[in-house]
Amino acid sequence: MIVRRHTLDTAATQRAGEELAGMLRGGDVVVLSGPLGAGKTTFVQGVARGLGVEDRVTSPTFTVVREHRCTTHPSIRTLHHVDLYRTNSRGEIIDLALGELVEEAGVALIEWGELAGDLFGADVLSITIRTDDDESRHFEIEGQRVSDFSSWGDA
Amino acid sequence: MTRILGIETSCDETAAAVVDQDYHVLSSVIESSLDVHRDFGGVVPELAGRAHLTTISSVIERALVDADLDPLMPAIDAIAVTSGPGLVGSLLVGLSAAKGYALAWDLPFVGINHLEGHLFAALLDAPSMAWPVLTLLVSGGHTALVLHESPGVHQVVGETIDDAAGEAYDKVARWLGLGYPGGPVIDALASEGRATSLRLPTSMMGEGLDFSFSGLKTAVVRATEKNPEVSKADVAAAFQGAVVEQLMRKMRQALERYDVAGVAIGGGVAANSALRSAVAAIAQEYGIECHLPSRLVCTDNAAMIAAAGVYRWGAFGPSEWSLPATPNWSLGSLS
Repeated sequence: MIVRRHTLDTAATQRAGEELAGMLRGGDVVVLSGPLGAGKTTFVQGVARGLGVEDRVTSPTFTVVREHRCTTHPSIRTLHHVDLYRTNSRGEIIDLALGELVEEAGVALIEWGELAGDLFGADVLSITIRTDDDESRHFEIEGQRVSDFSSWGDA
Repeated sequence: MTRILGIETSCDETAAAVVDQDYHVLSSVIESSLDVHRDFGGVVPELAGRAHLTTISSVIERALVDADLDPLMPAIDAIAVTSGPGLVGSLLVGLSAAKGYALAWDLPFVGINHLEGHLFAALLDAPSMAWPVLTLLVSGGHTALVLHESPGVHQVVGETIDDAAGEAYDKVARWLGLGYPGGPVIDALASEGRATSLRLPTSMMGEGLDFSFSGLKTAVVRATEKNPEVSKADVAAAFQGAVVEQLMRKMRQALERYDVAGVAIGGGVAANSALRSAVAAIAQEYGIECHLPSRLVCTDNAAMIAAAGVYRWGAFGPSEWSLPATPNWSLGSLS
């Protein structure tokens, strides 16, 4: 099963992230794939808003991992925003010990995580973003728990 | 005379320097692991950490010898070290070294915010500069406008809401297949191109002082897909023009709002030739001092860390031995 959603502009992409936030559970790992400029960070900004993150969510490319405190979600306390753009091999990703980020009270959203998907176990949620012209984007979610997200997709 | 040893390992440069209390640089050694990273199109965190580990001791020793100090028992008064922001593995190499040397030589050490270090770069070139100064801090990880009242007293008045300017340079360069780091190669190529050959959006038109470069990066990707016939030099010129235009528009807005005696730039992107001439033109227009530190002082170095250490150690004393590396340490938290 694949859940699909189409957004028409940046605001709708952030809204899609915000709505996804309400369906996440502590311990979830979401891998975001898509080309340069697909809107991965924009989407994460929406998720952060949905989790009640108050600080500004900017690109984590430079520091690889940024942590944000979530203030409104009943069980998720931390959003780990990861960007593997600068890593090149699975060995380097293993060295980053990202598996340790995944804990009951946190969720991890991983940009450019295609290389690393299976390092986080079987129940990773995989979101692929395809670009159209301008701001329109197509989202696809796959993963073991994907049926939980069917209401997130387009009817 | 008070002398401070500075140590910097937050990204891909391993650096050490000795600076005195009047911000005179007695020595500055920078060892780059750039060659290791160039093949990969960016800084590779784990490689960076390992490279620092192999060079840190010899870099510190050379900085001491260059300052005519005994490398085994140097006549220095404190050690200043970058403890954030940056890559955690890289930061830990410098921080652990600083603590080790401080213990061995029975000296105090002080953790320095790397971004505050960039603010001190202008001071190294002009120790008697007039205050306050508006500093545009532009690097691979950060883009901010900072109102600097006096050494160490500053306030972030604008910053990027998504990508840093240098990050946009690196990503656009990689997209165009130009290699890493993106800044110098796009800067050089842009001088051969025509900025008008590609229409790129002008972002962040509003009154606020924040920046945004994510949309510009995306626009370059879309525009080059749609217009494959446009040369890389023209793309580089159009992109660089748009970056500098946004930076200058926000600097101008800040100058309208705040009364300052000068403007300065810091951070790796401050080495960019188009940005330097644009900042010089604005300073001339407003009739204020212009501080364009040399390329060696703008990019990552340890002299600026030692200079920030002169202020921090003097004003607040040494750090605790338990001081951790802080990968996401914001500049705003210091003000």
